[in-house]
Amino acid sequence: MLPRTSQIENIRVKIASYSSVVQLGDSCIINSFSRALAVQRQADTFYGNEGNFGIHRVFSELIPLPIITENLTIRQHYLNPVIKVKNIDIIGVSSASLLHVGNTQHVSVEVRVKHVRQLLPRDEEPDTSLMIGDRKK
Amino acid sequence: MNFEVYNRELCVETIRIIGVASSSVVLVGDTQSIQQAATFDTPPESLIIGPFVPLTAEGR
Repeated sequence: MLPRTSQIENIRVKIASYSSVVQLGDSCIINSFSRALAVQRQADTFYGNEGNFGIHRVFSELIPLPIITENLTIRQHYLNPVIKVKNIDIIGVSSASLLHVGNTQHVSVEVRVKHVRQLLPRDEEPDTSLMIGDRKK
Repeated sequence: MNFEVYNRELCVETIRIIGVASSSVVLVGDTQSIQQAATFDTPPESLIIGPFVPLTAEGR
């Protein structure tokens, strides 16, 4: 097997965060994992010691992977051994994602997110009548 | 199954992406295997309307 070469002229990435990978060049194994408790509160309140992954099932439950039962034979012919890309422009790479330029063998990524929203009771809602773009007034 | 691939010329001018997130992959090259998994949980009980209650603290 003759692997291909990747040729990129320009790469622009603004942010790479939370277990993300920007890899230029070949690699063998990439394993990335991220878990997050995403909390939205209607008003700014920070307690500083919150969050326990252990009590949420989403962080421990098994994610089933499809089992390959079929016998598969892959034959690849590399008639042109170069992949050419002129520009790559990405704003953000986040949460165990990756941008990889070059060959690799095995990639495995996993993300688990628990999203919680906390809203104020109706009578305590902040006055939004002055917000820009609010047409209800 | 027999799978035969002919990799001919591959030439791309511009790739523009806003976000690559939650176990996504952008790969310019070849690979043997890719395995991706993502769970996102936002059940009805995670929408709390009322006085703010702190989430369970770490290590409790």
